[in-house]
Amino acid sequence: MEKPELIKDGKRLDGRTPKDIRPLRIEAGVLNEAEGSALVEWGGNKVLAGVYGPRECIPRHLSDPYKARLKVRYTMAPFCSPGEHSRSGPNRRSIEISKVIREAFEPVVMTHLFPRSQIEVYIEVLQAEGGTRVASLTAAAVALADAGIPMKDMVSAIAVGKLDGQVVVDLGKDEDNYGESDVPMAITHRGKEIVLLQMDGLLSREELAQNLDDAIEGCEKVYEIQADALRKTYEKEERGKLKL
Amino acid sequence: MNIERIVVPGELIWEQEMRVPNTAVVDGKTYAAVVGMVRDDKFIPLELVYKAKAGDNVVGVVTDVRHAGYSVDLGLAHDGFISSKFTRVSFKQGDLIFGKIKFTDEVGSVDITDAKRLPTGKLVSVPASKVPRIIGKRSSMLNVLRDGSGCSIFVGNNGYIWVGGKGNVQLALKTIDFIVKKAHTQGLTDAVAQYLNENGGAVTVPPKDAPEGAMPPKEETKEANPLMQPAAEKVESGQEQAEIVEKTEKTEEKLDIEEM
Repeated sequence: MEKPELIKDGKRLDGRTPKDIRPLRIEAGVLNEAEGSALVEWGGNKVLAGVYGPRECIPRHLSDPYKARLKVRYTMAPFCSPGEHSRSGPNRRSIEISKVIREAFEPVVMTHLFPRSQIEVYIEVLQAEGGTRVASLTAAAVALADAGIPMKDMVSAIAVGKLDGQVVVDLGKDEDNYGESDVPMAITHRGKEIVLLQMDGLLSREELAQNLDDAIEGCEKVYEIQADALRKTYEKEERGKLKL
Repeated sequence: MNIERIVVPGELIWEQEMRVPNTAVVDGKTYAAVVGMVRDDKFIPLELVYKAKAGDNVVGVVTDVRHAGYSVDLGLAHDGFISSKFTRVSFKQGDLIFGKIKFTDEVGSVDITDAKRLPTGKLVSVPASKVPRIIGKRSSMLNVLRDGSGCSIFVGNNGYIWVGGKGNVQLALKTIDFIVKKAHTQGLTDAVAQYLNENGGAVTVPPKDAPEGAMPPKEETKEANPLMQPAAEKVESGQEQAEIVEKTEKTEEKLDIEEM
């Protein structure tokens, strides 16, 4: 496929302005068996996250007497995008994403409260359309909060980047593939700490600074939706199903 | 006037430093660490991971008989332990117990004391954050629940609840489910009494905060100290026992209990 014209008259491929984010919908508490869960629908992305624990650390020799171990597994479903994902399960890319998501949560989750145990976060990408790692991180943050795992701060994530010389927020699939740069970022709400920062492509110092400001602004929008999703679970009737 | 708001992790609760559980203090300000409700100067967690602490009541399942004691599943990251040194009762694998936490240590081990064996009954698990609502103020909710269903109920702070005895067990379970779903609402004791009455229960004791005449006239009330009910010692007739066993089959299957 030829490179499309990414920015036309100040509008992007799907008609957004550079600072618009795709429609984002988050629902918390969607799984019965998980302690906490969240479904994120962000543009064409559909991501499901489930949190289990704190429970016994397996294998035992990896348990830490001072804190809980955080385990994150990100996987893409075989049907999540056209081609390329014929086999499910971990691969080089998903192992990397699992690692960066885990490292984003390590400074935030109060693991010292649960010694010798592990907290498991399972993230399943059901449908992918660019920016799955930030969608996954957003889902995982809501799922952790829904599980009642104490966190010092809420984590929100968004991708920023550059298309045809223009700095933009929340890149879609084509923008990611044909743009000049893609910078996924995760920022905490209160502390404004950057817990995830990766970069693909090239950016100047000034552009990165501009991107960072945009990311903080974008994360704030994402945070509002995350917080609403968590509050809304208390309006639902099916809340807290009895386990027999 | 109670002004309530629901906060999410990282949200400011108070401008000043307050050392309460499930919050984080940063730069002299108090922030929520879990989803919870702020009512005046109280923070009520709505989602919570149970942390064992000394003095809590627990309901558990004996998972292993070891030579120094018994391992007990409490639904936590680690099994609790009953030392046979301090207990006269002996347990079998699969026994349901009600006990008190004697002490916990910094790596999460839990020691249980005063363990009693519970007779065959239904074991259910609820989120630990809902347990205070199921017990109520000075166990008001639990009294209504026991009274309305006629069951014997033991509630563990760990979120395990044992329901058994002669009453309507299914009604008690339905009502517990009702409480769990409505745990974040106000005036719940009255709603529960109404729910019990509507579903074939008979609540005789009016809740303390209910207005006069809101409840059916008080009839002969049972002894008003249900926490002390010696349910473990109750002998049940064979037929009733069989009925309860039938109802608990599902639980037992799940817990993989050997038939005694």
